[in-house]
Amino acid sequence: MDLPTLISILQSGLALGVLYALMAFGLAIVWTTLGIFNFAHGAFIAAGAYLAWQFGNAAAFGLGYWAGAVLAVAAMFVIGAVVQLLLVRPFERHRDIVLLTVITTLAGATIITNLLNVIWGPRMKQIEPALDGEIVFGLVHMRSQEAVMIAVVAVTLFALGWFLLRTPLGRSMRAVAQNREAAQLMGLDVRLLYALTFGLAAAVAGLAGVFIGSIRFMSPTMGDDPLQKALVVVILGGVARFTSSVYAAFAVGIIEAFSTYFVGLYWTPAVLFGLMILVLIVKPEGLFGRRQRSV
Amino acid sequence: MRYDPPFHRTNGLRPAVAILAILIGLPFVVVDPYTRHLLVLSFIFATVAASWDLSLGFGGLFNFAHGALFAVGLYTFALTVKFLGLSPWLAIALGGIAAMAAAALIALPVLRLDGIYVILVTIAVAQLLYQVTVSQSKWTGGTSGIVSLPALRIAGYSFIRDGKIGYYYAALLLLVMATAFLYLLIRSSLGRAIVGLRDHKYFAIARGVSEARTRLLTLVASALFTGMAGAFYGSYVRVASPDVFGLGFLTLILSILLVGGVATLWGPIASAFVMTFLSEAIVSLGPWREIIMGVVIVLVVSFYPGGLWAAIQELRERLDVLRTGVMAAWRRRTERAARIARMGGAEEVMMQTPHGAIAVSDTGGNKPPILFLHGNSACKEAFAKQFAALRDEFRLVAFDLPGHGVSDNGDPETSYNVIAYAEVAEAVIAARGLHRPVVFGWSLGGYVGLELAARARAPLAGLAICGTSPLAVVPDDFAAGYDASSHLILASKQYFTRAEAAAYAGSATAPRSAESLYLHHNLPRTDGRARAYMMTKLPVVNWPRQMRMLREGKLPFAIIDGADDPFLNHNYLLELCRSAGWSHPLINIPKGKHAPFFNTPEAFDTVFVAFCRRALAAAEEREPAAATRSARPQP
Amino acid sequence: MSALLKVERLSGGYEPVQIFKDVDLEVEHGACAGLFGPNGHGKTTLLRTISGLIDPWSGNILFDGVQLNTPGERRTRRSRNLNYDILVRRRMDPKKVARAGLIHVAQGSPLFPELTVAETLSIAPAAARGGGRPSDPELPFTLFPQLKERRQSKARFLSGGERQMLAIACGMLAAPRLLILDEPTLGLSPKLRLELADAVHAIRGAGVPIILVDQDVGFLRDLVDKLHVFDHGSISRVLPRADIPDHETLMADLFGKAH
Repeated sequence: MDLPTLISILQSGLALGVLYALMAFGLAIVWTTLGIFNFAHGAFIAAGAYLAWQFGNAAAFGLGYWAGAVLAVAAMFVIGAVVQLLLVRPFERHRDIVLLTVITTLAGATIITNLLNVIWGPRMKQIEPALDGEIVFGLVHMRSQEAVMIAVVAVTLFALGWFLLRTPLGRSMRAVAQNREAAQLMGLDVRLLYALTFGLAAAVAGLAGVFIGSIRFMSPTMGDDPLQKALVVVILGGVARFTSSVYAAFAVGIIEAFSTYFVGLYWTPAVLFGLMILVLIVKPEGLFGRRQRSV
Repeated sequence: MRYDPPFHRTNGLRPAVAILAILIGLPFVVVDPYTRHLLVLSFIFATVAASWDLSLGFGGLFNFAHGALFAVGLYTFALTVKFLGLSPWLAIALGGIAAMAAAALIALPVLRLDGIYVILVTIAVAQLLYQVTVSQSKWTGGTSGIVSLPALRIAGYSFIRDGKIGYYYAALLLLVMATAFLYLLIRSSLGRAIVGLRDHKYFAIARGVSEARTRLLTLVASALFTGMAGAFYGSYVRVASPDVFGLGFLTLILSILLVGGVATLWGPIASAFVMTFLSEAIVSLGPWREIIMGVVIVLVVSFYPGGLWAAIQELRERLDVLRTGVMAAWRRRTERAARIARMGGAEEVMMQTPHGAIAVSDTGGNKPPILFLHGNSACKEAFAKQFAALRDEFRLVAFDLPGHGVSDNGDPETSYNVIAYAEVAEAVIAARGLHRPVVFGWSLGGYVGLELAARARAPLAGLAICGTSPLAVVPDDFAAGYDASSHLILASKQYFTRAEAAAYAGSATAPRSAESLYLHHNLPRTDGRARAYMMTKLPVVNWPRQMRMLREGKLPFAIIDGADDPFLNHNYLLELCRSAGWSHPLINIPKGKHAPFFNTPEAFDTVFVAFCRRALAAAEEREPAAATRSARPQP
Repeated sequence: MSALLKVERLSGGYEPVQIFKDVDLEVEHGACAGLFGPNGHGKTTLLRTISGLIDPWSGNILFDGVQLNTPGERRTRRSRNLNYDILVRRRMDPKKVARAGLIHVAQGSPLFPELTVAETLSIAPAAARGGGRPSDPELPFTLFPQLKERRQSKARFLSGGERQMLAIACGMLAAPRLLILDEPTLGLSPKLRLELADAVHAIRGAGVPIILVDQDVGFLRDLVDKLHVFDHGSISRVLPRADIPDHETLMADLFGKAH
């Protein structure tokens, strides 16, 4: 293997990693905060992509790439909060919340995916990228769209990290995640924080959808594959800390890039899942984490 | 002396056999192959969902690779039939075995995990199996699957012929075998270990249940019929396609399970039919069909998380409450004269209490009052012999407890417990203007009397109990105070079969005879919830307070038991009465059973009247009735 | 003068099981009320109801003349299986209770295991801010100086005593107008018990009204104006400070001699 190949593998691993980090963030924050696993997360990704297409593309409202992306992310925030209200809140105090929300979010995913199908049809679409062309920097050749994506995601992740660690609202969200009752007794608005958390997760998933939609083709089920990858990431990383799923996302991205190069496209998912099962057997709390919430 | 009435743990055998008979006869009515096809699918899905219920519902193990176990059975069938040329029948059995092996593999990572982690890792295992399957396209045909599998046949008769009738009965047989297997398993000691681990993990482990072994067995057992169903499915649709690995199939089975009711076994079986037919009824709607099914699932799970089986149970209970309520209302009007005659002409009046309308029999008159409290699933007429014999000397009052006799049914949460019964007794004492009555409590009524006395809101002249062991610590003393027979199971059983009703009434009062017929006649009227709730609400009673009241010894008190009472632990009572500081008599009526006042009335009445006279005289000495009566405000 | 907290005929529990019934409880301005009773008889459930974590079934909770719960009976539940959580409005809001200044320091709360002491203290004044009461950020460290050196530790690394200190400190940062302390010395060593008892005395000395639950009658006798004896889901006696007997007498009264 020569150096340019290595660089291109690392580069595609990085691109995958930032996408996975975005997707895993939403899953992990919902998991830690509400104690549930959101199977509708993949559908959020698809919905975000379609909304961005609708707002941004010349064939639809034609507001342009960035306006479309911003509007889609904002809309996904609202949709996420509404989904939480409809699919999760009814079981807030139910002892079987984990199982019940598995089926409601699975059903929610079916509903959203089919609604996308009804509204936009099954035909493949693509979001026109913000920038065309390539950036060349020494040995690094990169599509401009990918560079934009990496930059935006990096900024987003830093912003999210700062929000969760430094702002009172972010700290309150983390507090609710760890002890709902103590948070209530402190006068925090737990229901609002839950809705905000779900909204935030959906918005970030929507952003991931925007990027995926502009580098690949879109279909109503486009979120299924990313959801599975995000699942691997979350398990590998553990959910104790915000940062651990980010590390895991890059690890998975790079492993996937190498595995695709050496083992082939077909076997790559098997490699990832096998690796994940291995990690779970050896270290159930994840590579980077401490098991924190096992319901 | 021990007496064990017969009882059934469930009354479900007859309905199950009836439904099976209907399903066996159905193909003679339903000849349309499409409907039969849906029925076959329902049988298969019911088998898969019920098997999943074992691990997910009873075991609390969220195995989301259950769909993959089905797929393993399916592909085992396809591969062995296609490439090894195995007999399809043998391949179906092999499908079950292969699924069990796969389940054992899945169990490995699951053994150490809990909750969501189990969901995630099993999904990952399913995905891994899917990827492996799809990648081996040389054997498995990749994403398009293995096609044109052979159909089942016996001696040249293809199961497809005659409108798939062979498949219909084969699928039914599969479901019946799976149900019987799961039913027996759940009731076995392994089943108790599985449920015990789910509900009280550390307690179960401390009692010697091995978590790893039980989890492994749970998953393997849930795989057996799932794999066979997968293989059977392959022989039926004659295609092995990797779709069954996906979330779509999993969602279908999971919705069957949750809409049916988790940890019920019967729920998923029933809902498999509902969901399959519902989903087929709206098949013409295209993508809207999926949306509608999703909305239905969300609505059911949100508003009624117990699902179909809980609805059936609730319906059954409502019907039973309706039946007992109508019976009470009907008898209240039609058999009133007979009851008054039986109670020696005592007037029967209805009075309103916070626990519903209560029927009271009162002989009236300005005589010293005695209040009678009847036992579980009995009625005030149990004291008919006393009403006839003692009415010249005393004013006799008895009432039907809520949910008993011709009183109203009460609210189960609030009205069917000892405290509520004591409140009703207080209301009766106040409304009938009973001044300082002697109270006689029989069996459950004995606890009501003890609670009434311990609450001390209505002054009493004395208390006698019969067939009741006073308790200080519940449930320990409860176990000690009674001979642990199956009578105690019946005492809290909600629905009686006819045999159980006869056994219960027979052992509590007297075997069916001309004399005791009316008591047997009364028993089916009792609101079954009164039995069930009374027992579960035992801990809310302040038992130490009752014992304290007895040990203080201020209130004249006597225990008058039948010497041959089959339910009491007579040694417990003897020890209690011999303990230091105990000042109350324990009288055993020779040959008396649980209801000596009914079985041996003469002997009982002698003892009881003597007690009443003593108690009333003592009360008169403390505060003469005439003085207090005039000072007391009139009700 | 009307009472600061007035609980009238309050009934409640965890559906469908009633835990306590017709409880009357009054705390005067500036007073300290003690609550004593056997374990498992519903003290904590009562306090959780007063602070709005679970809905009361009936009765009134008045705090400084303001009714905190929706008046009236709870809706009767006809079906055992319907999900009433979405069919019934909540009848009490813990946020509102906390903002009004009724602050509940829960029994043995692990707080927020992954948040540091400083982070926890930074969100603790939420209730005070929401209610427009000033809160003194230095108060935790004057009450419990040793919290200062543990500012950067996560709550899960604190000892039981330190965690309890943090919990009380959080309660004080909410600028309580009435502080509920549910067994603040539960499971602590004698030395730590004394330390925490001193802190409670200090809070009491600062004039903060308290409802104090404890198993130690001696501790209660030093602090409270009235002792409410709670058993079998209701308050069976209210003893003024002078009439509080010693621990053994009280327990014997409650349970009698074993037979």
